[in-house]
Amino acid sequence: MTRLATSIRAIAACVALALFFASPAFAKATVDDVSQGLTCQCGCGLTVANCNMPTCGFSVPLRSEIAGMIDKGMDRPAIIAIYRTKFGEKILSAPTAEGFNLLAWVMPFFALFVGGGFIVLMLGRWRHETPSLPSGSEAVAERIPIIDPKLREKLQTEVKGQL
Amino acid sequence: MPNLGQLALAIALILALYSIAANIYGARRNATDVIVSARHAIWAMTAMVAIAAVSLWVGLLSSDFSLEYVASYSSTTLPTIYKITSLWGGQQGSLLLWTLLLSTFASIVAFQNRRRNPEIAPYALAVMAIVAVFFLGMLNFVTRPFDLLAVRPVEGSDLNPLLQNYWMAIHPPSLYTGYVSTTVPFAFAAAALITGKLDETWIRTTRRWAIFSWFFLTLGNMFGARWAYEVLGWGGYWAWDPVENAAFMPWLVMTAYLHSVMIQERKDMLKVWNLALIGLAFFLTLFGTFITRSGVISSVHSFTQSGLGPYFLTFLISVALVYTGGLLYRVPDLRSPAEFESYLSREAAFLFNNLLLVGIAFAVFWGTIFPVLSEAVRGVKITVGPPFFNRVNGPLALGLVFLMGVGPLIAWRRMTVKNLAYHFAAPAIIGITTGLVLFGIEVTQWYVLTAVSLVAFVAGTIAVEFRRGVTARRHMVHETTPRALINLVSKNNRRYGGYIIHVGVIMAFIGIVGSSFFRVEVKKSVKPGESFAVGPYLLHFQTLTPTNTPHLESATAEVQVTRNGRPVAAMYPAKLFYKKPQQPATQVAIRSTPLYDLYVVLAGIDEQSGMVTFQVFLTPLVFWLWAGGLVMVLGTVIVMWPNVRERVAIAEALSRGREELAAQPVPRGE
Repeated sequence: MTRLATSIRAIAACVALALFFASPAFAKATVDDVSQGLTCQCGCGLTVANCNMPTCGFSVPLRSEIAGMIDKGMDRPAIIAIYRTKFGEKILSAPTAEGFNLLAWVMPFFALFVGGGFIVLMLGRWRHETPSLPSGSEAVAERIPIIDPKLREKLQTEVKGQL
Repeated sequence: MPNLGQLALAIALILALYSIAANIYGARRNATDVIVSARHAIWAMTAMVAIAAVSLWVGLLSSDFSLEYVASYSSTTLPTIYKITSLWGGQQGSLLLWTLLLSTFASIVAFQNRRRNPEIAPYALAVMAIVAVFFLGMLNFVTRPFDLLAVRPVEGSDLNPLLQNYWMAIHPPSLYTGYVSTTVPFAFAAAALITGKLDETWIRTTRRWAIFSWFFLTLGNMFGARWAYEVLGWGGYWAWDPVENAAFMPWLVMTAYLHSVMIQERKDMLKVWNLALIGLAFFLTLFGTFITRSGVISSVHSFTQSGLGPYFLTFLISVALVYTGGLLYRVPDLRSPAEFESYLSREAAFLFNNLLLVGIAFAVFWGTIFPVLSEAVRGVKITVGPPFFNRVNGPLALGLVFLMGVGPLIAWRRMTVKNLAYHFAAPAIIGITTGLVLFGIEVTQWYVLTAVSLVAFVAGTIAVEFRRGVTARRHMVHETTPRALINLVSKNNRRYGGYIIHVGVIMAFIGIVGSSFFRVEVKKSVKPGESFAVGPYLLHFQTLTPTNTPHLESATAEVQVTRNGRPVAAMYPAKLFYKKPQQPATQVAIRSTPLYDLYVVLAGIDEQSGMVTFQVFLTPLVFWLWAGGLVMVLGTVIVMWPNVRERVAIAEALSRGREELAAQPVPRGE
């Protein structure tokens, strides 16, 4: 039951993280913000903001349209929604955080949680298996053999030689 | 020449097949002569592939349009340098380059191991030959570089204009070298799995190869980014395009491997993980080639698409299945007594560093394939672009930078809280102070504040580590500070070269953060003689000069740049129009300083009104991205530099061991 609860909490945390990172927080829409959210359809593979074809039949008029919509007081989600309706999901430069697309955002964090959990578990087991070096000076002295002073001197000379 | 080239490829394929059989047979039967013969076959195969490559170059340089490849990717007016680089401008040629590099590396490995590693080297060479057989099979049967046209055209179609750039001579060979050289550690890892010789021999043998591969993957990614920055004209350098991602993923995994392998070398742990990582790195290099070649995922870089996809996919899946199977089979033999005491230890820091590196690689992989997945599951085509990758990887990158600061200072085994406070106090204060100062000057974006504070923290930890080493040398061997610094790095080149690489990484990170968050864009249409301001600069448009050559037409603007009334630069952005294929291109003008890059694009020319439109980007700190790349290169060279002292020590130890063995009495009856 505890494990189930932990798993549910982990998944919930992943979803929350994914939703947090999936939602851009912009105070006021600018042409750049909005057009970064849209993919140019001219084949350049860049966003509408970054398409540099001066005569691009897609990004150039779109940027003008977006500027006009912002002037009319429309916000980013509203403008993006208009283009989504017009061109379909392919115009969005990132998947929406809903339905099947949510998987795109959740999976990287979920994988990290699973990987992190696995590492913590492994480290915990290894720590349990490793005889710890006692911290008390007497105990340490018991485990470290006393080095012959002559040997110590020789060692120090050799170390200096290596430096 | 075409017949010679194709014949050479056919012979190379036969030699590769023979080499596989001879290496395996020789190793199993302990037949030295057969192994020597297999080695000779590898060398002969390399010679054959080199003959094929030279044949294609001759075709390109002599504009032999009877060859389909030459007619498709060259022309009589193409400058000679691009005729040479056309070898990797198309499908068949780039596979030929891949094969040439692979066979060259196999030859070097055969030479290096002619007297070493008799147990695993033949199997490693057999694995490399298997990979060569795949590529040679493609070149012989599926995508032949020497196919002839029925009718020889008078002129060729020319190389894609975007590829007519000097970076074409540097970027693909670097990246390919990085990709292909991962085959060496992979082959030795596979050989270790086959033979069951699972100690650190394969790691020791391929340590330099792994660093070599990482070095060229770094160069390849950096050169690619710089090429995009100079050529694409949008002021950026990384668009998270699938092909860019494909080059980035092996780099991430190799970075993880180079860190985790230190734990195996020092503590004999993580054997399974290291074998898995090197397998993954190799898999991702093949995946990258699959993406570029198959057209499964649309990419701006897919200059060459073909029906190679199914073959690559089959090979990719076979490699993954066989290697994973071998690894699972050997898991019981790979268990080693684990020594781990505390979460506050370098071992734990390295493991979490691995988690983040592989986590980022997974996020990039997932984002790259998600459009295919979406289309398969929902039937809806979607785009996964920069916003996704930036939002997912941005926070992970912060974690990675933090661990980069923690790693060097934290001790192996365990560290007490007191020690932790002692070692990290100064770097932490540096980091926090930097954050406060930035906040004081009204930098309010949380990401920028965190990133720059962490960079300052990492810089602090590296400085502490260097200071500690220099102080120790000054006390023990009474050297001056500069001498102590030089000796510290030269005598511990692996460790301090690694720190220099870290300095390069944080410099590059600062460049990425600065250029991503504070870029200013201005678009202005002006007539000759008019001026406009961009940040602290005033740009005066002087003239527009047209030129016409048989290869292209161009219009070059002269822009004088002043700052506070003083001239600082003359910039010449241009608009190009290639005649074959008829395609426009941009030549940007960049003035780079440590503070800003002034990036001027000639965006449009209105011939009727005489107005010229300029798109200008003022990008802060991007200089540090490239400078960081150079520092990473310097650090890697230091890491790879032969450490004579280490070699002498190993040789002496081996010699002592042999003498001791020789001195031991031979037991009776033997």
